[in-house]
Amino acid sequence: MVAFNNELREIALKVVYYGPALSGKTTNLQSLFQKIDPKVRGRLMTLDTKDDRTLFFDMMPVFFRTTSGVKVKLKLYTVPGQVMHESTRRIVLQGTDAVAFVADARRSETVTTLAYWNNMLKNLEANGLEPSTLPIVIQMNKCDLADVRGEDELQDLLQVLRPLVIQAVAIRGEGVVETLHILLTLAYRTLDQRVGLERSWHISEREFLSQIFSHMDLRGTRLTGAGAAR
Amino acid sequence: MSGLPPSVLQQEVSLGELLDVKSFTEVCQSFAELYRVGLKVFDAAGNRLVEVKVGNADFCGYIWQKPDGRAQCIATVQRVKGGAVPEEAKPTAFDCFSGCRYVVQPVVYEGDAVGRIVFGPFVPDDLVQLPRTLTAIAPDFDPNMATSYMQKIRRVPQATAEKILRHFAEILEVLVFSGHKNLITARLHIEAVQESYRELQEKNRQLEDGFGKLKELDRLKSNFLATMSHELRTPLTSVIGYSEMMLEGLGGPLTSEQREYLGIIMEKGENLLQLITSILDITKIEAGRVRLVLSEVELGQLIRDAVSTVLPHARKKGLTLVCQPAGAAKVHCDREKARQCLINLVSNAVKFTPAGGTITVGAGEAPGERVALYVTDTGIGITEEHLPRVWDVFYQVDGSSTREYGGAGLGLAIVKSFVEAHGGEVHVRSVPNSGSTFTMVFPARGAAAAAPRSPQARSAVS
Repeated sequence: MVAFNNELREIALKVVYYGPALSGKTTNLQSLFQKIDPKVRGRLMTLDTKDDRTLFFDMMPVFFRTTSGVKVKLKLYTVPGQVMHESTRRIVLQGTDAVAFVADARRSETVTTLAYWNNMLKNLEANGLEPSTLPIVIQMNKCDLADVRGEDELQDLLQVLRPLVIQAVAIRGEGVVETLHILLTLAYRTLDQRVGLERSWHISEREFLSQIFSHMDLRGTRLTGAGAAR
Repeated sequence: MSGLPPSVLQQEVSLGELLDVKSFTEVCQSFAELYRVGLKVFDAAGNRLVEVKVGNADFCGYIWQKPDGRAQCIATVQRVKGGAVPEEAKPTAFDCFSGCRYVVQPVVYEGDAVGRIVFGPFVPDDLVQLPRTLTAIAPDFDPNMATSYMQKIRRVPQATAEKILRHFAEILEVLVFSGHKNLITARLHIEAVQESYRELQEKNRQLEDGFGKLKELDRLKSNFLATMSHELRTPLTSVIGYSEMMLEGLGGPLTSEQREYLGIIMEKGENLLQLITSILDITKIEAGRVRLVLSEVELGQLIRDAVSTVLPHARKKGLTLVCQPAGAAKVHCDREKARQCLINLVSNAVKFTPAGGTITVGAGEAPGERVALYVTDTGIGITEEHLPRVWDVFYQVDGSSTREYGGAGLGLAIVKSFVEAHGGEVHVRSVPNSGSTFTMVFPARGAAAAAPRSPQARSAVS
């Protein structure tokens, strides 16, 4: 859950990339790590095994100071996708402010995707998080492969909630920035409603997004300019 | 808010927790030695983690002797340690009243200043003479002595000092990152194990609840069976008894047809009685209420009894029954229960052996002062997958509703329980389409129920 420190004028936010094994969560983070200016991010912390499977999580910190002098610290996490790491997934989800659900778009992965989607909803609830009010977007990844699901074939995932769906090819960096942009837009609006980011902290949506996306390589994305535009 | 205890991921950690302070001190020492300049590292709360002094001991010691010098020295240290510096990875210079200088840089990690590095004191290379702020600290201040002490402190251009400091800060950032990674790995591993354990305990609790409920249901079922069996037996005894009386002519003369019908009523009634008795036996076994009445029983007699009971049925089916001589061997057991076990086995053999087959009943000594009673048939046999379960209550190899062979699935379960109540054991060998051998092994000297093999075999010996 977002942490406000009035004394230090700090806001700490947490975003989690959730999804089945090998759906591309780590690839998303690696791609963002390449695109974002080292001035506003820390190192990419990767806790993986020898065969590059995520063991605990990946984490990349992003930070900036607003013109009103508030320090915003954003941490992007991935969960380990393999089934056996269920308890770690639950721990990493703890206190998250937004979730990007990364799914393999191929039809052959439909059953697994739905299982992890339901598993995520369950784990959010176990953490006392309400899925219906939490900013969540679905990234349909690997759209360059054959036999992927079309936008009209996602009824199974959209039964309970109706999150936005973004198409992506994370391995080529396509849709990665857009996913984060939409997710952070939703996260901003949710927080603004709850705690008045603009009113009490003097952080506008435009500045919040621009502080991150103006330090991002936006070539080849659908975002333009300072990154504030959609 | 959360169902889980707060994770290490949600907690702020201090610089001291991220570094192995002892080995980090060694790194600092070798670094300070290399550049011949002192080094201090503080965490964000101002706690000193490391201090290495190089070259300034005499100079500072001399100043420290003068009260004014001491006071100003303390003030300088406070400034260097706590003075404002920009929260970014850049050095800031702090001048000492003595003419020396420090450069200070925050330890920036993930955008936060988690501590600061103080590099110095060093003598800036543009210092020509001792400043007035130093020489004026005491009337008896000796500039020559101070100058000679100062020569032991390294003279270095500020730009160089800043470069060295930046270099050190970069190394420290890597150390902090690795330390953080290791700390999180270790703590998260423990958290994951704890969480899995908690989850397993929760599941175990649910399973235990479910198991408890099933046990209660099972107990109710056994009670019901016991009560019903008893209630069924009473009227059945009258059915059989009055049929028998009529057959004996106590109700007047009968036609041959009436006699035949009554015979069928008697026979079926007795079958039913046997079944009800079996159910009662099983419920007694399950409730642990089997009582054994032990005596010396001759094996040959036991076999003859059992065979003669089943013989009419076997003949009718066209089977050959062979008794293998058992000599005068004796076994210490409950005669009635042993007889019932043997009858169950032989009846099964008759049931599952097609016409023309042979059933052999025999006995012999078994290793360890035990005796074995066996029944071998040339019947349909049992496939391997079913073998381990044939002794289970209500288990039928052919469980379908259209099965060829009747029975309640109680016979073998009763045999097993009774034999185990004697401290014995049962075995089965079988080849499908060729035949089966069922063996009961009893301790020859009645080590009855000495070591019950299952809770079902719990019994009292009287």
